[in-house]
Order: sequence, then C-alpha cells, then structure tokens
Amino acid sequence: MNIAGIGVVFNRGRGVQSLETALKEGWVPPENSVYSVPADTLKDKSVLKEMRRADDFSKMACLAAYDGFIDSGLGDTVKSSLGIILATAFGPHVTTFRFLDDILNYGDANVSPTIFSHSVHNAAASYIALVLGARGPTLTVTQFAYSFHQALIIAQAWLWERRCEYILVGSIDQCGTVMEYICRQKLRLAEDGKIKPFLFSQTPCAVPGEGSVFFLVTEGKTEKRYCSVLAQTVGTPDMYLLDSDGMAGDEKYYLKMAKGGIPVASYTPIFGSMLTVSSFSCAAAALMLKKQRHYASPVQDNPFGANICRLTEEKETESVACVRHNCGIERSQITLKR
Amino acid sequence: MEDRKEQDLAEIRKKLKELLVTNLNLEDIKPEQIKDDEILFGEGLGLDSLDAVEIVVLLQRNFDLDVKNMTEGKKIFYSVDTLARYILENRKR
Amino acid sequence: MHSGNVVISGMGVISSCGKNISETLDTFVAGRRNGAQVSLFKTDLTYPVFEVKDLIDSDVNTMRTLKLAFIAVKEAIENGGLGDVLHDFRIGVCLGTTVASQLNDTDFYSKYRETGNAPMHSVERYLKGNLAEAVAERLGVRGPSCAVVNACSSGTDAIGVGLSWLRADLCDIVICGGADELNCVPLAGFGSLGVVSDSLCKPFDKERSGLNLGEGAGVIVIEKEEICRKRGKKTELFLQGYGLAADAYHLTAPRPDGSGLEAALARAMDEAGIKPAQVAFVNAHGTATPDNDLVEGKVLSRVFGSGIKFLSTKGYTGHTLGAAGGIEAVFTAVGLREGWIPQSAGFEKADDAIGISPVIQKTVISGQYAISTSLAFGGNNSAIVIEKE
Repeated sequence: MNIAGIGVVFNRGRGVQSLETALKEGWVPPENSVYSVPADTLKDKSVLKEMRRADDFSKMACLAAYDGFIDSGLGDTVKSSLGIILATAFGPHVTTFRFLDDILNYGDANVSPTIFSHSVHNAAASYIALVLGARGPTLTVTQFAYSFHQALIIAQAWLWERRCEYILVGSIDQCGTVMEYICRQKLRLAEDGKIKPFLFSQTPCAVPGEGSVFFLVTEGKTEKRYCSVLAQTVGTPDMYLLDSDGMAGDEKYYLKMAKGGIPVASYTPIFGSMLTVSSFSCAAAALMLKKQRHYASPVQDNPFGANICRLTEEKETESVACVRHNCGIERSQITLKR
Repeated sequence: MEDRKEQDLAEIRKKLKELLVTNLNLEDIKPEQIKDDEILFGEGLGLDSLDAVEIVVLLQRNFDLDVKNMTEGKKIFYSVDTLARYILENRKR
Repeated sequence: MHSGNVVISGMGVISSCGKNISETLDTFVAGRRNGAQVSLFKTDLTYPVFEVKDLIDSDVNTMRTLKLAFIAVKEAIENGGLGDVLHDFRIGVCLGTTVASQLNDTDFYSKYRETGNAPMHSVERYLKGNLAEAVAERLGVRGPSCAVVNACSSGTDAIGVGLSWLRADLCDIVICGGADELNCVPLAGFGSLGVVSDSLCKPFDKERSGLNLGEGAGVIVIEKEEICRKRGKKTELFLQGYGLAADAYHLTAPRPDGSGLEAALARAMDEAGIKPAQVAFVNAHGTATPDNDLVEGKVLSRVFGSGIKFLSTKGYTGHTLGAAGGIEAVFTAVGLREGWIPQSAGFEKADDAIGISPVIQKTVISGQYAISTSLAFGGNNSAIVIEKE
C-alpha cells in the first residue's frame, strides 16, 4: 500500500514541515523532562470548531489525521470511501484520571458525562470521522508494544478486502502527570534529557514523549505519494531506523543489526519515548524516501562503532526499514520503499 | 419582596451564565454576552444532548437540585431564564 | 489472499446467564433474569446490574476481565477441539474490551492524589493486562494479536478483524470476541449520561427507560475451512460477512436516520452474498435506551421488513460493553445451531414509533442465516452474518 499523505503533531509542532525542520535541527532538550505537545499547537478554530468539549488526546489525533488528509492533496472525493484506524498504547488516560477525580471529589452519582464520554479509547477516532465526514469503517486498537504495527496490518487487510479505498491509519499517545510518575517508577529516565539510541544498553534511558502521526494510505500510487509500505520484506534495506528509545526494555538486540554494516539511524531523541514511537520513525522514513535525503541522527553517542547516519545530505535511497524490539521477546519491521 | 426576588434571579442568571461558559467549554462567548432569554438548545446557544446531561450535573453540584426526568427537563432547560427561575424556586442552597 | 470459507469451529460464553453455553440455554428456557444490585464493589448507585456470580476471583494480579475471558476461551478451545493442536497452526487473538484497556484503578489514583506516590501493583497488573496479549500468552500462540477498543461494538469488530486477518492469510485460526467486567467507572459514567435504568431493562418496549450494565465474555474460534477439515474437526457454522460503518454524527447519540447501521448491514450481507429475505433472525444490539432502540428498530424494519424475527439478549445479560459483540455472536451461532431463539426478555408493550416488535416467546428458527448487530458510543455500527450449513 502507498502512503499518500502524512500528518504529525508532536513536541516540535504540527505538520510534515515541522517534522522535517526538527529532523534537520536535531536534538533539543525537553521542557520539564517530557516532550509534551505545546498547548498552542492544539489551537485551530477551523478544524476543531465542532470540538469545544474535546480533550487534548482527541485534538492531537484529529489534527494529525486532518493534516494527513490535506497533505495527500486527494480532496473530498476520498471521503466517500475513507476508513480510520487509530492505535494507542495507553488511550486517553489523562481524561480517565480526570473522571476518577470526579468520582473521588463528588461521588459516583455526580460525575461529569462529558469527561466520561472522552475517557473512552474510541472518542478520538469518532471525532476524526466527524471532522472529516468519513462514514467508512472506523476502528481503535490497543496493544502495548506494537499497536501501530497491528493497525498498519489491519489497514493493508482492509485495502485488500476493498473494505474502503483510503484509510487514515495512525497512532496517538499522551504523557500526563500520572503517566510521568509511572515512567519515573518503571523506567530509567535520562538525567541529561537525551535518549541515546546507540548505546544498546540493557537498561536504557528514556525521556517520555507524546504525540500523534497519521498516514493516509491507499493501494494505488498517488501524485504526491511518499512511498509504499511493503507487505513482505525481501532483501536488505538501504537503512535501518531503530526505535531504541528506552521505553521497551533491553536494547542490546538492536546491536546485531547495527553491527551488520547497513547504515542505521534513530530519531527517537527528537520525538521522545513512546510505545507508539514507531509511527514517528515511519514518518521520518517516508520523508527520507520522498525527499531522497538522509537526516543526521540527533544523538550520535556510539561506543560500538555502528555505521550510524551522521550527516544530513541528499542521498539516493530505495528502502528504509523501521525496526522495533520489545524486551528481546518480539521484533517487528516495517519496510518502506520508494 | 419582588425586588428581592428579581435581585436573586439576576444573581442566579449571572452565575448560570458563568457556569454554562466554563462547564460546557463554550468558546467565543463571554458570560455577559449571553442574553437573559437566550434559548439554550437548537438555536440560541446551540447546545446538544450531551450538554443537557452536563447541565443536570451542574445543577446538582452548584444548587443541590436533581432533575431526574428529562421530559420535565426539556421545559426547565428551554432558556437561561426558565432555568434560572427553576433554580430560584427549587434550590436548597 | 485467502478466498475460501471461514468456519466457526468453537464457542465459549460466560455471563450472568451462566458460565458456559449449556447453562446459558437453561437460563433462556427458564426466562430467568439475574439482574440485582451491585455486589462487586461499593457504590452509591442503585441501578440493577447483571453480574457473573461465584467467579473464583482470588488472584489479585489478574484483572477480572481477563478471568472472564480465560473461561470463555477455555470453553471455545475445548469444543473447538483445539487443545492439542494450538502449536501446529498460526493462531491470532483479537478481543474487544473497554474496562481492561483503561488504567482506572481508583485505589492507585486516590493514593497518588493524596501523597504523590502510589504502590505500583495495579499498574503492573494493567501492563500485563492487554486482553488479547494476555490470552495469546496463556495459550502460547504467536500469530497477530490486538485488543479492539471500539466501545460497545468492540466484540463484533474484533471478530471482523479476525476475519480480515484470515482473508489476508496472516494466520490460520483466530480466537476472537470480547470481554468486560462490571466496573464502577462505566457504571457512574453511563449513569451520568442518563441512559441507565432504575429497573430491569426493557429492550424495544414502549416504556423502556435505559440500559442495565452487565459483564462477561463471549469468544468464537474462526478458521479457514480447509484448516478445520485438515485437523478433522466437523462444524456446520460459517462466518460469512462483516460490515462496519461510522455515523460521523455525535460523540454519544446515534445518527437518527440509522444510515450508518444500514451501511454496515449492507456490507455484511454483500460479503455473505445474501439478501435480507434470507435472514432467519437478527440478534439486535437493543440496549433499551430510547435512542438506540428507536434507530435500530426502524432500520431493521426498513431493511428486513416488518416480519423479521429479532430479539435483544441484553434483557438476560445486561449491556456487557466490550463483551457484548462476542457474547451475542455466540448466542446468534447457537440460535442457528439449536434452531430456536429465546423471547426478548423485558419486552411487553409495542412502540408504534419503532413499528416492529421482538419475539415474545421461545421461537423456532428455520433458515440458514442470522445476523448480530452492534452500535457503539461514538457512532460505530457493526454487523456479522453467520450461516448454518
């Protein structure tokens, strides 16, 4: 299937242009130790005009999905056959905790129905459908390590089944104060604010992040397409993008790949640590293939001497594989091709 | 007595407008811009069914009032004024 | 791509009706409705609910939703004859839920609020509690797995995802359906929306006043027909179609014209290659809220005609949220297999605004096809078509 459009909402802003700027500029330290999405990024009176009650989770996802649709340049005709698949690891937990605040403050007979309505995982996808007028199939899936990958697989299956012709498939995860607390208890947080993807540590350091990426995908090749997502991987890619971000445990399993000679890069230090960071890596890979450009890895600490991408430069590239390990138990690879 | 009642009603309307704007996330409108006889649903403020149940909670938390029956609720929630009068006549605090 | 038939080779269910299919059928025959006050947790709310009684619940490290799912999965694996061959095939797990996906432990959060610290055991339990992953790990199967969180249509949509996986040849067999436990968060939440009834629910009744919440799990095993034949398992039930369509209308209210549900039904029947007249009965979503039943009832009448046999089983189980689609898929398949459906519990008086009424007594079914529908919060509409050979 082909990636026709991309929308991104993250710490460094909104839109593919923000993504490219961030990839060129490299690492910047997080404010308050989390790569949060700034409040101003979520202001858009036009796109969000029907969403006065929506929480930040829904707004992030909506803006990324909307931008993915606009970026494709395909226009309103796609809406008659547009599906939506949203992946999330933790769902709108910020709003869930707000609802628990209501229960604790006012008792269970006196809680806000608006907050409850937004605490369900599928509220964001419902808003995307509403904003775009998309009446096709709409699905929200969750899994901890590979929710984005599962969403991508379902998207391909739907296109093969002709369940719809176009799909907005993407991910959204937030990091509120409670999640930040949980990260402090469960993870080793980087004191200098730097994710170091090439240390391949058994106890890597993380810097929590949040954000949303959506891809408009379709079977056919479109005029403004970025690349294709391969259903099967054959041969080796021109580059591996590693999802080593300190969130998924032991990262020594990436080392074998990094020592294999094929160039590797990792942009997780820009996005922050998220279980759904794979979608951001894919967005970076898609941009590389469209622009035929490599971007320098933002943090280049490299004690094992891996062949890491050090420079931002024009470079002919046929394929990029985005790789994720989960505590060494599971491995996934998404291969994108020009 | 009538003056007192009118004064109470005016205070309730003012508080109500502030609560509506805050609790229902009404953007682009300030409480003082809402008319006393503003219709709440459909036209006027354009509120919907989710706002209606949110107002039920708002009444309980701020005025200790229970509106259990939404058919009854339709008349009470017609406008800022009908809601304010209902609160004035039935509130416990 | 796999273009052959997909069979239903195993089923399992647990709800307030009983801990397996046999107990459930006894409850249907007796017309028993096991709704009562909440006993599972402390609450100020007095709505009747449909709890699973006598569930052995001593393992504090496993969420109740998972325990319910494990029981239904066990029954499905057993009657599907899969026990010895789990590792011989590529097996996927797709299950719907709402509660199991949320980190909504009140003890954890209240301690965190008070002190800025909280013990992490409920977080640990949550992180081990993705429904599909937990079931896949327990069975030791390595195919695709994910949890669907589409609110009230999650179970049906999880079955739909399983069907897509099989057609895409990603695996040979899928364990799919849904599970949800009764929990104070949705009870308070739905209560605040004004859609919960103070008495036992009355789906499609003129005087219906809202839903009752319930809990349970419903699981079906679906597989490629040639795989089923290869392993020597006989079955007469097929999953022939699935449709899913969004209302794109409102966060909590269904689209009044029901066109989303109509589109989902059309797609499901189109995949099955059938016409409405061939449908023997419909297991409707039928939550007993004024809005849902009006919209759904009118769509059923429009699509299938006034003579369609239909029922809501939520009068027996309550609304089990993420489990509903899975539980009702089992009920639909069993209804076809057994050749009868129970009366639509809770219904007494026809609503002229809907125009059709559900079955009022145990009803013999003759026909090959049945449909189960689900309508979700947020405007998802789903339908599956099941065939008995």
